[in-house]
Amino acid sequence: MACTHDHSCEDHDCSSSWSLFKHIDLSKVTALNEATPGSVKSVFKAWEERLSSSGEHLESNEGDPELLVYIPFTSDVKIKSISVVGGADGTSPSKMRVFINRDGIDFSDAQGMQPVQEWDLVENLQGVLEYQTRYSKFQSVASITLHFPESFGGDTTQIHYIGFKGEATQLKRDVVATIVYEITPNPSDHKTRAETGGGLSHVE
Amino acid sequence: MVLEATMICIDNSEWMRNGDYSPSRFQAQADAVNLICGAKTQSNPENTVGVLTMAGKGVRVLVTPTSDLGKILACMHGLEIGGEMNLAAGIQVAQLALKHRQNKKQQQRIIVFAGSPIKHDKKSLEMIGRKLKKNSVALDIVNFGEDDEGKMEKLEALLAAVNNNDTSHIVHVSAGPNALSDVLMSTPIFTGDGEGGSGFAAAAAAAAAAGGVSGFEFGVDPNLDPELALALRVSMEEERARQEAAAKKAAEEASKQEKGGEEQSSSQEATMTEHASGGTSEADNKKNDLSDDDNALLQQALAMSMDEPASSHDLQDMEMPDVAADDPELALALQLSVQDSTKDSSSQTDMSKLLADQSFVSSILASLPGVDPNDPSVKEVLASMQSQSEKQDEDKATEEEEK
Repeated sequence: MACTHDHSCEDHDCSSSWSLFKHIDLSKVTALNEATPGSVKSVFKAWEERLSSSGEHLESNEGDPELLVYIPFTSDVKIKSISVVGGADGTSPSKMRVFINRDGIDFSDAQGMQPVQEWDLVENLQGVLEYQTRYSKFQSVASITLHFPESFGGDTTQIHYIGFKGEATQLKRDVVATIVYEITPNPSDHKTRAETGGGLSHVE
Repeated sequence: MVLEATMICIDNSEWMRNGDYSPSRFQAQADAVNLICGAKTQSNPENTVGVLTMAGKGVRVLVTPTSDLGKILACMHGLEIGGEMNLAAGIQVAQLALKHRQNKKQQQRIIVFAGSPIKHDKKSLEMIGRKLKKNSVALDIVNFGEDDEGKMEKLEALLAAVNNNDTSHIVHVSAGPNALSDVLMSTPIFTGDGEGGSGFAAAAAAAAAAGGVSGFEFGVDPNLDPELALALRVSMEEERARQEAAAKKAAEEASKQEKGGEEQSSSQEATMTEHASGGTSEADNKKNDLSDDDNALLQQALAMSMDEPASSHDLQDMEMPDVAADDPELALALQLSVQDSTKDSSSQTDMSKLLADQSFVSSILASLPGVDPNDPSVKEVLASMQSQSEKQDEDKATEEEEK
């Protein structure tokens, strides 16, 4: 599953199509079992910078290669493919399972639930491989959770870059945040036109 | 102000009957739990707290995480002591309860009170700790009560396994004069990693022990709420006034029995006058309105009406001339009985004699430039002085009836 266009990547600038990282709500990205809290945010960057690890990458805790990354988007997106750059020496993740539009998954949930799609990954140190999704299932994604259960034999799992290819819609799949239910109506909230001096309309 | 869901694991095993923490280990623990619940809910109103017991017949969740403090306090009643604590099961059940919290945005935290010996081995505790760390659950351990060999190491190992960036803590509390809750109040368990709860801790400390941690006077910050702080201060002075007046009355009752009623009413009047001055802020405004040069007399009247009754003596003096104006015989008796009055009070007595005369005061006011007798604040002061003299007339009337 290499780059799907029929020319080498050096000529064509692929970065514009990997632009979904702009729609990621970085402040709300979380990861479970990360060694350094907050290091997961360094993994989302422009496609050109996918290999320039300025020292910051996502690493799991010592002796436990499992990782769970929760990524909310600022608007609904359609994801066509995902690219993951792992670490060297067997610290790349070997499998990836994704869940869509679910908050607050933890490891026991992730291990028990059926993922929307799962892939067997290969070591992709140059970041030229992308993994296509079953597009029909990834049509309106507000948040995506990536579960990496194991690595290629390393003690930890390292991830240097995660990229999404697709398009962003302008819609937001927002849960209604604050609702005020009225048991009895409050007259001051329901002024009639007569009270507010309506009647004749103004022409401005 | 971090948004958190907390599960508190209580040790209600047989070891909690011991009285080396007063009143008993269990009671000290319950107090600490109540304080923690209060601190958590106060630092962020959306925080939730739940409680479970680890001993007894088995691990039992008393309250699932809720922000309703009443529910938590209610469930602490009627807890029975017995059995052996099962630390591992308790922590795991707590983790499960937190997993099913309603608001997934809350951080997860478990607070464990470990008072009895721990029968698990270090390895299994470390595994539990790693599992907690993996699921980003923080753990606070309160080590108190029994201290058998290995307990401290096991708990330290558990903490090391859980600790992620210093979000987990352990506190060792040994038996002694300090209450468990007081010791906990200064630890990061209460202060929540240095933020938030320190305000609650300060207020609680000020309430619990005299001269608490940082606390402002009366627990209210004068910068945040000056009127409240002022009102509190004045009512404190009022109370002191009343108490001193009552003490004075008790002390002088032997020599001045007939005046006993008068003094009582005088202290009442002191309070009445203060009330009549229309509240402290208004009185302050009055003080600000009048300038020293022109209205020294008026200001003195105000000062006396609001005065701290370290000069209750003065108040007494003020009352006496009021009466004296009407009844010369009584005045003579009063003068004789107050022969040890100091020069200051006597000079003030002269002053107050003049002031006591209502008509004299109003004539002065009318002559003063810039003071309009119809000004409401001025009228109020006059009214207060008038009420004073009225009260005096009433007392005099009752006194004469008694005679």
